[in-house]
Amino acid sequence: MASTMVAAKRESREYRVRSGIVQGFLYLVLTLGAVVAIFPFAWMLLTASKTYGEHSQKIFWPAGLTARPYTDLSPAQEIMVDMHPTDVWHGSIASFSPLVEGVVPVNEVSRLVAENLEKKGIAIPFNVLILALDTTDDGIRNYDRFVLTVDSRLAEQFTTRIKLGQWGGPDYEGAARGRWGPHFNVVDASPDQLVVKQGWNVWHMFFGNYITAWREANFALYTRNSAIITLLTIAGVVVTGILASYAFARMEFPGKNLLFTAYLATYMIPWTVVMIPDYLIIVALEDFFKQTFGMENAWYNNWTALTIPFMVNAFTVFLLRQFFAQIPNELFDAALIDGCGHLRFLTRIVLPISKAPLMTVIILNGIWAWNSLQWPLIITTTSDWRPITVGLSGFITEASAETQLIMAGSVITTIPILVLYFFTQKQFTEGIATTGLKG
Amino acid sequence: MITVEQPVTPASRRGLFAGRRGRRIREALQAYLFLLPGTLLLLVFNLLPVGYAFYISMHKWRIQRGDFIGLENYLKALGEPMDVVWVVGGLGLLAGAWAVWHSIKPETSGKGFLLHAAVALMLIIGGLALVLGFPDMLANGDEDLFKSLLITLYYSIGTVPLQIILSFLLANILFQDIRGKTAWRIMYFLPYVTVTVASAAVWTSIFEPRRGLINLALAMLGVTEENLPQWLFEATGIGTLIGQWLGFEMPSWAAGPSLALVAVIIYNIWVFVGYNTIIYLAGLGNVPRELYEAARIDGASRWELLRHVTIPLVSPTTYFLLMMGVLGTFRAFNHIYVMTKVGRTLGFPQGTTMTSSILIFKHFWERNRFGYASALAFILTGVMLSLSWIQSRIAEGRVFYG
Repeated sequence: MASTMVAAKRESREYRVRSGIVQGFLYLVLTLGAVVAIFPFAWMLLTASKTYGEHSQKIFWPAGLTARPYTDLSPAQEIMVDMHPTDVWHGSIASFSPLVEGVVPVNEVSRLVAENLEKKGIAIPFNVLILALDTTDDGIRNYDRFVLTVDSRLAEQFTTRIKLGQWGGPDYEGAARGRWGPHFNVVDASPDQLVVKQGWNVWHMFFGNYITAWREANFALYTRNSAIITLLTIAGVVVTGILASYAFARMEFPGKNLLFTAYLATYMIPWTVVMIPDYLIIVALEDFFKQTFGMENAWYNNWTALTIPFMVNAFTVFLLRQFFAQIPNELFDAALIDGCGHLRFLTRIVLPISKAPLMTVIILNGIWAWNSLQWPLIITTTSDWRPITVGLSGFITEASAETQLIMAGSVITTIPILVLYFFTQKQFTEGIATTGLKG
Repeated sequence: MITVEQPVTPASRRGLFAGRRGRRIREALQAYLFLLPGTLLLLVFNLLPVGYAFYISMHKWRIQRGDFIGLENYLKALGEPMDVVWVVGGLGLLAGAWAVWHSIKPETSGKGFLLHAAVALMLIIGGLALVLGFPDMLANGDEDLFKSLLITLYYSIGTVPLQIILSFLLANILFQDIRGKTAWRIMYFLPYVTVTVASAAVWTSIFEPRRGLINLALAMLGVTEENLPQWLFEATGIGTLIGQWLGFEMPSWAAGPSLALVAVIIYNIWVFVGYNTIIYLAGLGNVPRELYEAARIDGASRWELLRHVTIPLVSPTTYFLLMMGVLGTFRAFNHIYVMTKVGRTLGFPQGTTMTSSILIFKHFWERNRFGYASALAFILTGVMLSLSWIQSRIAEGRVFYG
């Protein structure tokens, strides 16, 4: 008796050890998988904080994520700069008025910049040269752009261009675009004398690449475009989807099966077949609107061509139909007695209880709309309505060597979707799961 | 028994819209009204364009419509008419042989011999037709098309099975008694949620030969600079590279996909493992718990549970993922377009990442050959449909729908 109990005890201990090992192994596999899933994001964020030099010199941890650039910064000060006419700089931007230049003395730099300047053989204190440009052709001298360089009249080296009222600085190290300061902000640009604020812009120092990418690739416009395109597409899909799926689920009419088969068929037609005729249809619509209403770009390069073709999709109709069909008939009969028609029943009873599938439809269509690349690539030739995906894709070519900027652009592009995901992740994963459950 | 009272028909509704029949008509009209916006859009941008695409494919069409040339675009892609007849006929006979083979039932033993003979005959003729027609088709058709189909095939074979195996593994682990299920799920799903252009850009920089993360890691492991793989810049086949690495000459037929395509494959797996895992989790959730209890009482081991309960019961999910995965690789565009941007040409390097959808885009958008691109799109659709058909036949009897 006693011996069997001991054996059982030993066995249960053995069992616990063994299941412990199994559990440990499972967690190990999960962790490994998670690391693989996550590391590109870490690489993206890390690279987006680097400078051009840091990335090309394969420095793993960027200085921007250490304390060095941010400590011991003296407060900003305003400096009057005497401007005097100059002969044309090598490689400077064309300007309508005579160029003027001035000198700002710099006595103090952050530790990071000091190290970098030392490597480049520049001693502190040094001068920052400001070249003021007038880019408006109105006959009045009003300077609005400035080229900043360190001790050099060569516009190619250590140069940053800023606009009036914008923070920026010369490049203290390669192509870091004046990120590490000291920064300059032209407060007043009277022709003979500039008032320049010299100081430290920590925001600019930390998010430098994001700010540069945002400015250079016009991400503000692209984000706006993508947001509008996505919202309009969702609105269209939801309206057409609810109406069509309700008709299929709860109404009787001749030709129901035929129509439903037509919806099914579109689910099978690959996009590559439809893409070319759709493009030609848009071109034809464009021509028609031009000749009939005299409208330029009514379709081409406009939100219409980017959203209207996608305002219906068979998947949405199937998903909602399945849900609507499950609503018990008694509910409708009761509503009918109360004098409800189909439209009232749909808006008062069906929609309020369909929040979950509607959420799924909204999220999935939102992602698809935000993600679309091929169609906008075809349909937008100007940036007026170009969505963020096409913007980023063009920026990849434009900024080709400057990986840190591409990574910053990628973060900007993906953040809205990630925020949406974190807030709705439960509905999100459930929605995705239902797409695979049709068996 | 509850009788539903008919609503009182308002006095104004008389004639056609009165009574029960009137209600039916009204309902039908209302239904058509409900269906109008969606169906109109569907017609204009999805259904009619199929016919229009076929019309385009019958023309010489470079931005503007040109001459009507019938099936010439298709023949340019597929080769001489006789080759097409041989190959399509051969494939048809093989499929027919398969159908006859399955129609043979044990009861019909009398006709069994005849049917078997028919199958054998069809197999022989079909096979011969393929053997005769296919090389000619390859020789006379569009080389780029066949190359792109092979590349797409490599791409499918490289991504889909691995994706499914990995996600099945992860889903089974997540289905156990594991802490922080939501957190794991969020992490695995992140790649799928990320905007494709952005994540493809990130992976492009990870694969970058000189400063990318992977080659930095390889260099740390002691790989010398001249031996570092060039990833997205490498047109040499993976088979050839492995041969070089092991120190022997690989035959040219075993060259396999280029390393650039392998990089795209790795990216694709990274994106879709999480997605497949979520779908597998839903599939696992549908397996009745009692089955496991019963099997465990019968003394089944963990492995037997997996083999005889889980795998058969999630087979519909597996089939779905297989289907979506293969069709997905045939449709793939965004990430291949972005990742091959390093070379500024579609299909870089040397056309080794030119999958079918990229090839169609190239003819359509870069070369403005609308007619030819449409013909290619239809050929690709044919390939996709036959693949789906083959998959559904293979799945038949193997997939268990509870």
